[in-house]
Amino acid sequence: MTLKGGTTQACAACKFQRRKCTSECLLAPYFPADQPKMFQNVHKLFGVSNIKKMLKKLDPARKKIAMDSIIFQANIRDKYPVHGCWEEICRLRYQIWRVEEELHAVHQQLEICRQHYQQHLDHHLPEDHVASQLELGMTPCSNGLQLLDHMLQPQDYNNKVAASLPISQQQQHSFSNSNNEAYNNSLYIDHKDSVPSHLWVEQPYGDNSSSSMAMQSQLDASQQPLVIQEGEVVEDYDEMHPFFDTIDDRQSYVYSQEAYESSSEESLKDTPKCTEHVAENELKNAAACFSLTSVS
Amino acid sequence: MASSSSYSNSPCAACKFLRRKCMPDCIFAPYFPPEEPQKFANVHKIFGASNVSKLLNEVQPHQREDAVNSLAYEAEARIKDPVYGCVGAISVLQRQVIRLQKELDATNADLIRYTCNNDMPSGQASATRMSDDQGGGSTSLGQSPSDYYYPSPWNNNY
Repeated sequence: MTLKGGTTQACAACKFQRRKCTSECLLAPYFPADQPKMFQNVHKLFGVSNIKKMLKKLDPARKKIAMDSIIFQANIRDKYPVHGCWEEICRLRYQIWRVEEELHAVHQQLEICRQHYQQHLDHHLPEDHVASQLELGMTPCSNGLQLLDHMLQPQDYNNKVAASLPISQQQQHSFSNSNNEAYNNSLYIDHKDSVPSHLWVEQPYGDNSSSSMAMQSQLDASQQPLVIQEGEVVEDYDEMHPFFDTIDDRQSYVYSQEAYESSSEESLKDTPKCTEHVAENELKNAAACFSLTSVS
Repeated sequence: MASSSSYSNSPCAACKFLRRKCMPDCIFAPYFPPEEPQKFANVHKIFGASNVSKLLNEVQPHQREDAVNSLAYEAEARIKDPVYGCVGAISVLQRQVIRLQKELDATNADLIRYTCNNDMPSGQASATRMSDDQGGGSTSLGQSPSDYYYPSPWNNNY
């Protein structure tokens, strides 16, 4: 359909509804003709009349932001027909918990290495103090290794291999995002039973029996975030939109999404691959500590 | 748990709201008990009864309760925040993940640098520190903020 006297194409909304797209069309600014799927998703979830009602209630300055969030919500619902945005929220909460755990472990390891370094410096003190320092010198980093084992429990961790890995080789490796994701997969598997219930979201996607209960407990937990969210969102309106102009979706989201959506069986199948990455990361950290203790 | 109001005399919250007879095969009845009228009111206001009905018909029966609960959550979020809805919470969480990941990378970098400096003679250690600084910052081990990609609500590339 074309406008009178012009060659402008009808917007995706009017094309879908098979009606004339006038210059006063409310939806035309938000649904370009070349993205019909976007409008189909919004139409399927909200409906045209509901969208128009919502738009009419908003300030003109907020309409674009609101429509972007509506489109995002509809796209997520298209991708996850059962749980929609709730699935994304649970995934992010779990990711936060995972990263916080890893950060805590690394902080503790750093503290242990600092203590060891301090003792290493003390080795240059007068001979009176050497013997007492040497008594302490061997233990801290091995405690660090035990701490990491306790926290992370990789399945194929090999202390002998770690001991033989010189530091120069560690420097050549970098902690890539994919390694972290695989590592996190392993953590995800190993801590299946210890994950807080309100963060555990694997079951609803494959397990019929516990899906309702899991979802209910998660939704119950969601009530508080709704309260918190209000205050945070209202304060950050102006920050949020320009901030997300710099962020784009890429493969790593898909990568992490695939990892998140895998059932327990698939996760177990991925264990050897994940374990390899876990072991590699663990080896690097462990070897760093271990080699420090190998004082001649 | 789903209620059994479809088998009782009391109409479900949806049929009460819509002022119609609640039939035994009412698709809303198991998920919108009459004790929770606000739940259906919110869902109806944001999504509409026909859209919800179509959506429920498209998912498996054992998944319908989860679908209804997620719709109720999204509807309530949209009512409380008409601009961002539940997407606001997603944005906040995404930023938190990015911030934490950056902090983790920085801490890992400190740890590696620490262990390298401990192992090397002091001259080489300072050279390593200088090369790290020249290499574009000490906050990342091969990662940059742009590596943390999330489907942005504002780019419509989802």
